[in-house]
Amino acid sequence: MIRAAGFPEAAVRARARGGPSAVFPDADGYGGAVFGAAAPEGDDLDRVRLVPPVFVPHRLEKMYELGREPLYSDVELGRSVGGFTAPLPVFLCAFGSTQVGTGLGVAVSEQAGRLGVPMVIGENVVPMHGYGRVDAVEDGLLARIRAYARAVPDGLGGVVVQQSTEDADAEVWNLVYSDPDATRLLETGRLAFELKVGQGAKPGLGGMTVLSPSVAAAVADRYALDDSLGDVVLRSSSPGTFTEEILRQQLRLMRNNYPRARVWVKLHPGRDIAHAVRVAWCAGADAVTVDGAEGGTGWAPTVFLDHVGLPLAECLARIGKHDGDLLVSGRIWEGARALKCLARGATAVGLGRAALIAAAEDPSDGLIRLIACLDLELRLLLSALGKYTLTDLTDDDLWSPTDDQL
Amino acid sequence: MTDTLTTLPPGTREHLLSPVTQAALRVQNAITTGARDYLGAHGFQELMPPLIGPVTDPGIRGSKQVDVDFYGHRYKLMTSVILYKQASLLAFDKIFYVAPNVRLEPLETADTGRHLAEFTQIDVEVRDASREDVLELLQGLVRHIVTHVLRERRADLDLLGRDPAAFEALLREDFERMTHRAAVAQLRGLAHGQSADAEIDWAGEKLISEQTDRPFYIVDYPKGSRGFTDGESAAEPGILRNFDLIAPAGFGELASGGERTHEYRRLIERMRETGENPAKYAWYLDLARDGLPASAGFGLGLERLTRYLCGLDFVWQANAYPKLPGIASP
Repeated sequence: MIRAAGFPEAAVRARARGGPSAVFPDADGYGGAVFGAAAPEGDDLDRVRLVPPVFVPHRLEKMYELGREPLYSDVELGRSVGGFTAPLPVFLCAFGSTQVGTGLGVAVSEQAGRLGVPMVIGENVVPMHGYGRVDAVEDGLLARIRAYARAVPDGLGGVVVQQSTEDADAEVWNLVYSDPDATRLLETGRLAFELKVGQGAKPGLGGMTVLSPSVAAAVADRYALDDSLGDVVLRSSSPGTFTEEILRQQLRLMRNNYPRARVWVKLHPGRDIAHAVRVAWCAGADAVTVDGAEGGTGWAPTVFLDHVGLPLAECLARIGKHDGDLLVSGRIWEGARALKCLARGATAVGLGRAALIAAAEDPSDGLIRLIACLDLELRLLLSALGKYTLTDLTDDDLWSPTDDQL
Repeated sequence: MTDTLTTLPPGTREHLLSPVTQAALRVQNAITTGARDYLGAHGFQELMPPLIGPVTDPGIRGSKQVDVDFYGHRYKLMTSVILYKQASLLAFDKIFYVAPNVRLEPLETADTGRHLAEFTQIDVEVRDASREDVLELLQGLVRHIVTHVLRERRADLDLLGRDPAAFEALLREDFERMTHRAAVAQLRGLAHGQSADAEIDWAGEKLISEQTDRPFYIVDYPKGSRGFTDGESAAEPGILRNFDLIAPAGFGELASGGERTHEYRRLIERMRETGENPAKYAWYLDLARDGLPASAGFGLGLERLTRYLCGLDFVWQANAYPKLPGIASP
């Protein structure tokens, strides 16, 4: 037996035994696990600390308004998120079209609706789960929209429907735009379409799912299939070809074709992220979502999870000051990380894996309780910073051990 | 015109027995006869339109396509025959179709008075023509049709209460050409918040149409307002070499057309700019890779032209079995 101390011998042996299937997380866990980069030692955002000041002029301002000492319950968290009114600066990210999302899609939609939290419905839901108008599928796109629309209070929230390059074949946006089940949302300005340019878990790649050979055969005319993984088939979407001009014109066409819908764009954490978000805003995007490399629920090669894409903290730093609506996601589940992103310029933060896990824990109320915790933590933290509205947050509220000027 | 919200098509029997319907359909018959005479005399070959295909004109302004299960392949009902028009120029230099189209338009178009989910276009394409060539052609065609209708169906126009004087300016003066930019400025001057980057919206189209007494062209739409087949200007990037023909007195758009994107690399780029997946258009791109002719052309809405010539309140009055967006009907 050859031994190679200090060399990743086991990983090499795994590849020698398994071939291309060893490039991915263990397929046996597929359907029961969500993916996304692991960061056991924490990342730059984790190392940043929230730093309340001693002197709190904003609290004094609040006291003038209230006529008494302000408390954390006086914090106002409601704000406009991508053209929708949200009760707190939180939205639900699209889930990968994995089996994990299957069955939970409607439960998550119903809970998000009750909260009035904006919700993104992911690409591939129509090609993989069905639309749900003629094909009576339980977890199709329409079932999710209906569940949300039934539960959502007047004046709050909104549904965002993603479309990728392959979804364009299914004309997802056209289907939704004239669907009677979406009319109430559309007429109250609570429907958006999100152009998916990329995602955090695998920047530069399209969506990937693992299918049984029989299911794969049914979608063979629309997707690239790779059967080198053994018993299962890897189904890939294309990443889509974008240049500055292609992105700009696609957004203009969205605004032209769907004048009553909001327009969102989701970008992967590319090195040109600062330029790309500004191209999207200039072309009229109501919101740009940036998915840090820590994000992602979908199936991805481990080399991407470990090595590819900018971390969320670096994305925020590169984007810097701006006037646009910037939505971010990436390992967010509690108040501190959320507040750090907001202080660094995000308008709202997205829940991905956290929302799926919470809904799986309790399909009727798990997500609602998780967001109640987030709501409370945000109030406590903002109040501790001596601030009572989100717009007062600044970079001064954060301290980083790597920040030279502090 | 009457309140659009109060008037939807009656039942099939009542609609077919209505003297208004019958007169409008007789005028429509004269329109197609006149169009065939004119185009035939100008050397055009009429082709029979394909009804289904692996792809069709990409959905525009939120309209949906209808899927057909073609022996296990997902086919589409034609939303327009534009791709086939370009291909047909491999066989003939000047072609036209009288082509049925199906577009499941957004629900909000049900009460514009100008939208049908199923309608017919007189679809014309000319090899190596410029936009200006087809603007001339379309003006000549519309004048010929109007002259023909006035001569052949005067009694029907009288029955419908349509005064032939409404067409005097059309027959006497050239159709004006206004850029999209000028149209936006005019609409903003009329306190209508028209986007400079988008198609003229439906309310704007009606409003600008009310400002004149004869048809006119809006040219030079911005890229981002139209599908990939509309050709982009080489001299002015971002501007399309296209047009709409707008009828006066609030009747709105009658025709759309322009020079076409036909070069393979430009088609690929324009497909991506319009969010399309090139793989879907394989048969068409294969033709383009080996060379599609440069061309220009237009689609003239038959029911819309009928409505305008007859002075009808609603476009559905010019169709025997009208299908309005969102309303189930035979």
